[in-house]
Parts: sequence; C-alpha cells; structure tokens
Amino acid sequence: MIKCGFIGFGRMGITHFSILNTHPSVDVVAVCDSSDIMMKILKQYCTKIKTYADYKRMMDEEKLDCVIISTPTDSHADVIKAAVQRNIHVFVEKPFTMTPEEGAAILNSIEGKNIVTQVGYVNRFNEVFMEVKELINNGVIGDIKNFSSEMYGATVLKDTKSSWRSKKKTGGGCMYEFASHCIDLAIYLFGQPDKVVGSVLQSVYSSDVEDIVSSGFIYDEGRAGLINVNWSDQAYRKPANIVKVFGTGGKIVADKHAYKIYMREANEQYGFDVGWNTRYITDFAKSVRFYVRGNEFTRQLDYFVDCIEKSNFNNISGFSAAQKTDVVMDEITKDASITLSKIKLTNTGSDGSPLMKNTAKRSSIWSKFSKQEVENVR
Amino acid sequence: MLDRIIFGDNQFFGINHMSEEKADALMEKFRELKAIMNVIDIAYEAGIRAFMLNTNERAKEICDYIRQHHDRYADMSFYPSMPYAHKYAQAVAEKGIFGAIRDVILADSTAGDILGMVKKGGLSLFERDMMKVMQLLVDMEMKIFKGLNVKVVFLQNIVTDLLLGLGVKDVFISFASYIRDKYGVEPGFNSMNMPKLVDFLLECGIENPIVCSSINKAGYFMNPDIKDYERTIREKPFRPMAMSVLASGAIRPKDAIEYVCRQPQIQSIVFGASSRQHILETKALIENYCVN
Repeated sequence: MIKCGFIGFGRMGITHFSILNTHPSVDVVAVCDSSDIMMKILKQYCTKIKTYADYKRMMDEEKLDCVIISTPTDSHADVIKAAVQRNIHVFVEKPFTMTPEEGAAILNSIEGKNIVTQVGYVNRFNEVFMEVKELINNGVIGDIKNFSSEMYGATVLKDTKSSWRSKKKTGGGCMYEFASHCIDLAIYLFGQPDKVVGSVLQSVYSSDVEDIVSSGFIYDEGRAGLINVNWSDQAYRKPANIVKVFGTGGKIVADKHAYKIYMREANEQYGFDVGWNTRYITDFAKSVRFYVRGNEFTRQLDYFVDCIEKSNFNNISGFSAAQKTDVVMDEITKDASITLSKIKLTNTGSDGSPLMKNTAKRSSIWSKFSKQEVENVR
Repeated sequence: MLDRIIFGDNQFFGINHMSEEKADALMEKFRELKAIMNVIDIAYEAGIRAFMLNTNERAKEICDYIRQHHDRYADMSFYPSMPYAHKYAQAVAEKGIFGAIRDVILADSTAGDILGMVKKGGLSLFERDMMKVMQLLVDMEMKIFKGLNVKVVFLQNIVTDLLLGLGVKDVFISFASYIRDKYGVEPGFNSMNMPKLVDFLLECGIENPIVCSSINKAGYFMNPDIKDYERTIREKPFRPMAMSVLASGAIRPKDAIEYVCRQPQIQSIVFGASSRQHILETKALIENYCVN
C-alpha cells in the first residue's frame, strides 16, 4: 500500500482526499492543515486519520510514500522542498511555484532522485483535450498555424480581500489561479512559445490582482496563438476552456464537453467526413473508478498513483512540464508591463491626456505602471 | 410509493452534459419563469405529477408560483435535491468552507438563536455538532417547499460522492433520520457512483435506500462501469431511480427507455425535456416499455 498524506485541506484538498481514500492501492494516513477547526472535525468523523499542524512533523512521523499538496501557491516551494528532501513523491496543485527561479531550484534538487512529481493541471486528463492532442500530434489537421486558448468563468465578481486568491503575494490573481490552466493547456497541445507578445493584465473588480489576462504566443517554427482569460465573466455558469486550432488540413474547436472538426479532406481512420464533424464527450467518455466532481480529477490522481507503482518518472504533468507554464506566466507579466507603457503613450485624448487615466485609479496593477506614464505624458 | 415518471429540471438551469453550446441555448430559452412554467404545464397536462427540483433561486420562484396557483397543481409532488452546490461554490472560494456555511446560516433571518450558537465563546458550532449544522442547512433549503407535497428529499450528488469518498457514515445516517423524523418523508441520495454508494448505505444500516443515478445504455456517468450498475440493480436490496437515461441525447429515445425498463426493480425514471413533443414521446415510451 502507498502511504499518503495531505497538506492543505480546503476545497481541492478534500476533493483529492475523497478520490484517493477510495483507491485500492492507497492508504490515506494523515492530514495537515492550519485550520484547527477543520482538523478537529476530521478527527471526529474520520477516526483513522491522524491530523497535524506541522507538515514536516507529519512527513517524519508517518513515513509517507507520497503527499498531496493543496495549500496556497506561495507555500508550494517550501512544502515541496521538505518532501523532496525526504524522497517523498509529490502531487501539488497548480501552479507549480511563485517564480521560475524557485521552480528551477526544485528541478535541480530532484535531479537523479527517483521521485514521481505531478502538478494539478487537470485539463491534461480531460478526454476531449486528450483526443484533440492526439489529432494534432497525428497531423489530422495538417501543420498547425494558429490557435487560441481561452478560459472564462464567474469566479470573481467583486473585490474580495478575504481570500488568499485575491492577494498577489499569496499567489492569488487570475494569472496563477485561472490563466495557468489555459496557458498549460496551450503548452500541452502546442508546446512552449518562443516569444510572448502583446500581453495585457487588466482589473475588473480586484484591487490587488488582475482579473483578465491576454497575451500572444509566437513560435519559431511559424506558429502563433492567442491567450484570453477572464475570471470575472458572468456569462459563464461554470469555468469553461475553449480551444480553437487552425491547421493546413482543417480546424478544431473544442471545449471540455465536445469538439468540432472541419476537414478539408475526409479521414478514414477517425471517421471524419469533409466539412464539419462533431464529437460529444458522450461518444468517447470512459467511466472512472470513483467519480468526484469530474472524470478528469480521478484520472489525474490515478495516473499519479500508477506512476508511483510503475516507477514511471516521466509524468506527463510533472514538475518540468509545469515549470514551462511558470516561465511563460512570468514572461507574460514582464511583457504586460512593457505593453501597458506603450498603450498609455500612444492612446492619448485630444488634449494629450492619457485615456487610461481613470482606469489607472481602479487598481494597483494599473497604477503601478500609470504614475510614471502620466508624468511622461505631461 | 414512488412516482414512475418524474420530470427533471436540469434543462431549466442550462445544464447539458454533452455540450456547453446547448447549455447556453437552454439558459437563454428559460430566462423567464413563464417559459419554465409553460413546460411544466405541458408535463402536468400530459399526466406527469412528480417533479425533481434542485434547491436554488429558480426552484424558489417555481415553488412560489405553484403555491399561488395551488388549485391548478393540486396533485403535484416534489422530489427536492439539496444543497444547490453552485450557491456554495462561490462563497467557498471566497471565504473558505466554514466561512461559507456560517454566512449561509447567518443570512437566514429566522436563525436568530443560531447566531448566538455560532458566536458563543469556546467551541464553535462546527466543532460541537456538525450534524446540527447539517440539519440547519437542510431546514433552510426545505423552506422553499413549505406547504407543498414533498415525497423524497435527496442529498445532491457532489456532496453525496464527496462524503462517500471520505467515508463519513454519520452524515448519511443523520441525514436519513432527520429527513424521516422532521419532515416525515423518505431520504434519497443522488450519486455518480451508485454501486459503491448502495453498499455503503447498506453498511450504514439505511434499509432499502432510494438512490438516484445515471442509468443508460451508453454507460455514461456510470462509475466504475455499466456492468457493476446492472449487477447492483439485480442483486442489492435498494430502490433505484434512473436519470440521464437519454445520456443528454446521445442515445435514441426508444433504445434508451427500452434499456432502462429492462432493468429490474427500477422505481422511477427522471427525465427532463423542453418541448411538448419530447415530453409526450418520452412519457409514451416509458408507459409502453415499463409496465408497473
């Protein structure tokens, strides 16, 4: 049996617990969380589980084989390091760490160690996106020229200061929390871009973090893509990912539930006719061992366990894959500061005043760049 | 006695498991309460008397309307499913699990005494008695159905399956007895993991439980697999209710109904539809293939 401990017992931690607690090869033995109330309740109703407030103590005392980390992002690096030092396999919620430097240091530290690592980029385990990847890899729509990866949801509809997700320093914001999924999906399907351009970070409601992320990806081999993410979009009942891909042989439009493929020529292997073909998830969805909140959540954790059992250290959503997303997010943030300067210099009103002036007051993200710019224009 | 045919409500809330595009179209179609009531009227006039409603703002409007026009819907019965997870999802993301529950409880104007309990020094209500918290939440959601004929109260599938994974027997036992004692109706459970849940409920000592789950020829939303579902339906002492029988439209209605009716001991079929033709067709198929 694989002895498993949990660090962080909020919404995602509980979901992961529920999924792994029913796994025939996994023995969930301990949970660590800073919430005293949560740990008391857990002890009361799940009497077999040991609870901890100190994750290092838990790792030492329980002799764990693996940990599931679902803590705020700013703590990921420290918790991962502690696990890696003890040769414990690690599953950590997305994103990987706060900076590419932190991530690089961790990647260095696991070099040569037989540790399974995985980051919770759950879209990689969604059946529609898995099939879209296969179609792209098999050249079904020819050479990929252009794509968009979009993600929308109604997660933040007011300026909430109480949650760690609304604070930049704890790893909150649309970029880490939301766009990371969308960017990782683009990297999973099309690879890491060679250049990031035209990035803009905007606030809709939040005062400390961005609510909208837009960016352009450029690839040396002549591929281009757009990223458009908004977590303050009330038009969506549930978070939605939409991928559109144009290739020389056709086009694919996909979301988590279905995809449409336009073919210039018929494809016998996949049964596609010339023109549009629609495939619904009901056509190819496979059941899972135990379902909580979506097939992909179970599939991702069962894959993690499978990698441990088979000593497979080339996890498709491992630390090195997730590091690419962290690097790209960092590039977008850097690029956004440049783009904003450009916008403010060129977009001026008839009196020469910057059109962005009012917007600048709304959030610290804007004002960070705007004060200097306002002075420059004057 | 459970109703053989129960009209579901997913279509009214823009839920379509097959396509986000179709889901958006449904949201637009049912923006007005009048549009929802038109469809409910068609079902009622066709002789369908039972309705499954997820407890949400829309359900409240529907129930208010039906109370106001009580004479017209005199024989109507309800199968509520709670809690409405989306209501909590937003608050949980913002304030954490306990913050969200506390807010929901405190937002209830009649929960004055509860306010005292939550704030009382020393142990919080959560630490002292989570089952009391569960009961408060049930009471709050049940207010929507006050004065209406409720037959079964369901624990919604996300909560059911999450707790099933945690293996917390107390919540299931306590929910079942509370629904029976306080409301005098049967408890039910929605699940995406029916075989596992049935075993668990029987272990909890909940006899002949009512379990509503997807049961369809395509095996869609049936975990771990269709064979395990068929075996459980054949062998275990419980009352299965079938939903997603059409797998969001992936199976031809005739084949879909024929398959479900072939399974033994199915008590009810829950289906949702938004056109007169689909409602009448599906009802006729169920009556044709499922002989009581």
